[in-house]
Amino acid sequence: MINEPKKIGKADPGHFRGRFKIVILVVTLTFIILVGRLWYLQIIKGTVLRDRSENNRIRVREIKPLRGLILDRKGRILVDNQASFDISIIPEETENMGCVLEALADLKEDRNVSYYKDIVTSEMSRPFIPITLERNVSRHHLAVVETHSLSLPGVVSDVVPVRRYNYGETMAHLVGYVGEVSTRELEISSFSGCRSGDVVGKYGIEKYFDAFLRGERGGKQVEVDVSGRQLEVLGRIDPIPGYHVQLTIDADLQSVCWDAFDKKAGSAIVMNPRDGSILAMVSKPSFDPNLFNRGISRDDWRSLSLNTLCPMQNRAIAGQYPPGSTFKLIVAAAGLEEGIITDDTTVTCNGSYRVGNRTFRCWKRRGHGTMDLHHAIVQSCDVFFYNVGEQLGVDTIARYARGFGLGSLTGIAIPAEKKGLVPTRDWKEDVLKEPWQRGETISVSIGQGFLLVTPLQLLRAYCAIANGGTLYRPRLLESINVTKKERIKIYQPEVEAQLPVTPEHLALLRKALWGVVNEPHGTGWALRQLKKDVCGKTGTAQVISMPEDGKEEDEIPYQFRDHALFVCFAPLDDPEIAVVVIVEHGGHGGSTAAPIARTVVDRYFKGVDKDNVVTRLINREF
Amino acid sequence: MSFDRKKTTQFDWPLFALVVLVTAIGVLNLYSTSHTVPLVKGSSPYIKQMYWIVIGLFVMIVAASVDYHIIVRYGYVIYGLSLLCLMIVFLNGKIAHGSQRWLTLWIFSFQPSELAKLTVIVVLAKFISEKKISDTFGIRDLAIPFFLVLTPFVFVVTQPDLGTAMFLWLIFFSIVLFIGVRKKTFLTLAIIGAACVPAGWFFLKDYQRQRIMTFLNPERDPLGSGYHIIQSMIAIGSGGLRGKGLMQGTQTQLKFLPEQQTDFVFSVFAEEWGFVGVVILLTLFLMMILWGVKIARQSRDMSGMIVAYGVTAYIFWGVFINIGMVIGVFPVVGIPLPFFSYGGSSMVVLMMGIGLLMNVSMRRFMLQP
Repeated sequence: MINEPKKIGKADPGHFRGRFKIVILVVTLTFIILVGRLWYLQIIKGTVLRDRSENNRIRVREIKPLRGLILDRKGRILVDNQASFDISIIPEETENMGCVLEALADLKEDRNVSYYKDIVTSEMSRPFIPITLERNVSRHHLAVVETHSLSLPGVVSDVVPVRRYNYGETMAHLVGYVGEVSTRELEISSFSGCRSGDVVGKYGIEKYFDAFLRGERGGKQVEVDVSGRQLEVLGRIDPIPGYHVQLTIDADLQSVCWDAFDKKAGSAIVMNPRDGSILAMVSKPSFDPNLFNRGISRDDWRSLSLNTLCPMQNRAIAGQYPPGSTFKLIVAAAGLEEGIITDDTTVTCNGSYRVGNRTFRCWKRRGHGTMDLHHAIVQSCDVFFYNVGEQLGVDTIARYARGFGLGSLTGIAIPAEKKGLVPTRDWKEDVLKEPWQRGETISVSIGQGFLLVTPLQLLRAYCAIANGGTLYRPRLLESINVTKKERIKIYQPEVEAQLPVTPEHLALLRKALWGVVNEPHGTGWALRQLKKDVCGKTGTAQVISMPEDGKEEDEIPYQFRDHALFVCFAPLDDPEIAVVVIVEHGGHGGSTAAPIARTVVDRYFKGVDKDNVVTRLINREF
Repeated sequence: MSFDRKKTTQFDWPLFALVVLVTAIGVLNLYSTSHTVPLVKGSSPYIKQMYWIVIGLFVMIVAASVDYHIIVRYGYVIYGLSLLCLMIVFLNGKIAHGSQRWLTLWIFSFQPSELAKLTVIVVLAKFISEKKISDTFGIRDLAIPFFLVLTPFVFVVTQPDLGTAMFLWLIFFSIVLFIGVRKKTFLTLAIIGAACVPAGWFFLKDYQRQRIMTFLNPERDPLGSGYHIIQSMIAIGSGGLRGKGLMQGTQTQLKFLPEQQTDFVFSVFAEEWGFVGVVILLTLFLMMILWGVKIARQSRDMSGMIVAYGVTAYIFWGVFINIGMVIGVFPVVGIPLPFFSYGGSSMVVLMMGIGLLMNVSMRRFMLQP
């Protein structure tokens, strides 16, 4: 209705009357279109559609996506999916619900009808939506139900994919586990695509990377006949499987760590100092993540949660221990940087050190004699570091400890990390409402007292010493993959900070750490004579402040025995592997923790040699 | 009540009869669906719908009685009040952090967005008749009417109720194109409109985009909105020539059909009454609309003509979009079927519109005051 501009002088409806013809035409045409379409639907397609509505039903069936796999650095499958069977009932297709439920209950010994009836009454929504009665039934029970299917109208079985954790408790803390989404989680926006009953990550990698692993639900609209048989798929949306998550973990090395621990409690981590990649991370005791697959049973849960050793805790990132003598390296770095000591400052150790009216002993009662920095580290002389620590003061020590990444989260990509504790004067006054004591500085300078670190923090600090001063964010994720090989996102190493220590001073420390393992009187003798030059440091974390004199380890009750620590890296020139081992209540670091580290380092280099041989062979052939 | 013989002609019985007939069939249809839908607290929808019809008839008489010149004279006041209601709803929604379309007054609540459809017609009638547009619309003449519609549009679209919001523009363009625009203006508008499409796409909510995509390709989403359309077409088609009979529609009674009392109410009717019933109902709607066109044509001044024409367009678009939607020739946009869908606000506002039509019809031979 476009009109040429023309004057009509005065507003007059008369002028517009002609246009109503067009309006009437438009309206009538529109109605003809509607009637035409209805003719097509009701008369031409009428019979077909009537059949569809009377004899057939249309139903929407959900297709759950497969959760992504979790792979190790070499593409080995750590976590995949397997089939599990559910039994459900479609209310619409049962004539007599009570009878069917009763018949079903008769087939399973430990079930009675009221159990099923309760489920049906609470879950019933629309008559054509199946209600799940049994989850994860055995193949045997499934077969029994299938053979009785004639007397069980409306009862159907479903195949549901569930997780399979191939490495079981070896990697439980790392990969985590899954469970049904909780009502509280459903309210959070990151779970917006989820419906109740969906499986989501609850712990570890499964939780942290849930959004990648989850995938997207699909579904199909199917036509079924009166007995529920599927006649035709009218429409289908394929589910989008979750992405695979490839970790920096080496499954072989992980198993080696696990086995080396034997029955002891504690944790071990292997890291590549060049980029912060984690090759292995073990926490003992552990649990079987497969238990959580279709909801953990009450008994299993009770035995896990009542275990005094806390198997659910990931000791590698949430266990907090005094670092013991491993902390001496940080005190040494602080001393060098602050100009309190040089590499030829000497202190005479006669076995004890007096502060006020208190005496602090060296672990070697007879004393070490005259010590310079190098030998004080090699033989782990306490008195030397009492001196340095006293001169530095606790606040300076704390500043350097923070510089080495202690007292704050490392930012590793798994939940529930703890941040340890780096005490200062202010902290004690704020939290404990007491003034700082001189003697407490002495304890801190050999890594005891209030000081707490996690194994991961300690390892990262040593990696920084090893690589020339770069503090990396622990890297657990290699890439997100579409298939096992095809990567869509690669996670690059992230530099978090530089140590507040000059390269010359770090070189001094590395040389001393080499001495700990390779020189006479060194406390890390257990790793001597490996193929590569290993550098390391032992540590013993006191659990109670003053162990009773003269008692052998075996005589002290387990829970009061010291924790044994060992940190090391290798080779001396351009290190490529670093290991921390903490054995809870294991006694001395040199005797309990170091042998575990030795096994791991040994196996690592054997593995590398093997890989090199393989690569050489391949290169030669092609 | 001024049924002064000198000023008015007879009450418009044919229009009244058509409206009563259509609403009666509508109530019967709702009664048929009420079997399957569990009783929410209180009475069945069809009972409630009857209450609304009674209220609507009363409103209709009032709207027919007050001389429409007076109504149009207070056009801006009415328009302002309607905006105020929309604003209250908007602010309530802000507080409640969610979609908010209802304004609760006393014991009953209504949707101001429905009322806005009618007040936009009245305010456009006032503007155009007073402006004495002696020429067709140029782009400058359109500025004020444009903003008169844009304001309620913004409120409604943020509710979010895209269907009703777009409906306001349909009314606007129906009136503007009827009055006529210059070729140049028309082209400019068309270009601006075309440019708005991608921009508008950006502002749509995910589910709204989904619906449009589904309309273009129903196979794309057979589980979500596509499911509704497929079920609706099966319901309609299975009605065949003579239908399955009242309360016999399997699609309806088994609840395969979604929204069967509101947006998809026509599918219920088509399933149970068949092609015969559908043709009868469409004929009734067509007669009602043509009657409205007749009233607009015979009105004696501009304001009466635009009011009558606008209300008729309102009914026409409601019928076309709703039925078009359920038979799959239009995307799912959530526009109720006039006089048929369950809902008080829509019913009362439509009755008010019919009242205005009667108002214009009765005063067509009136002398100029």
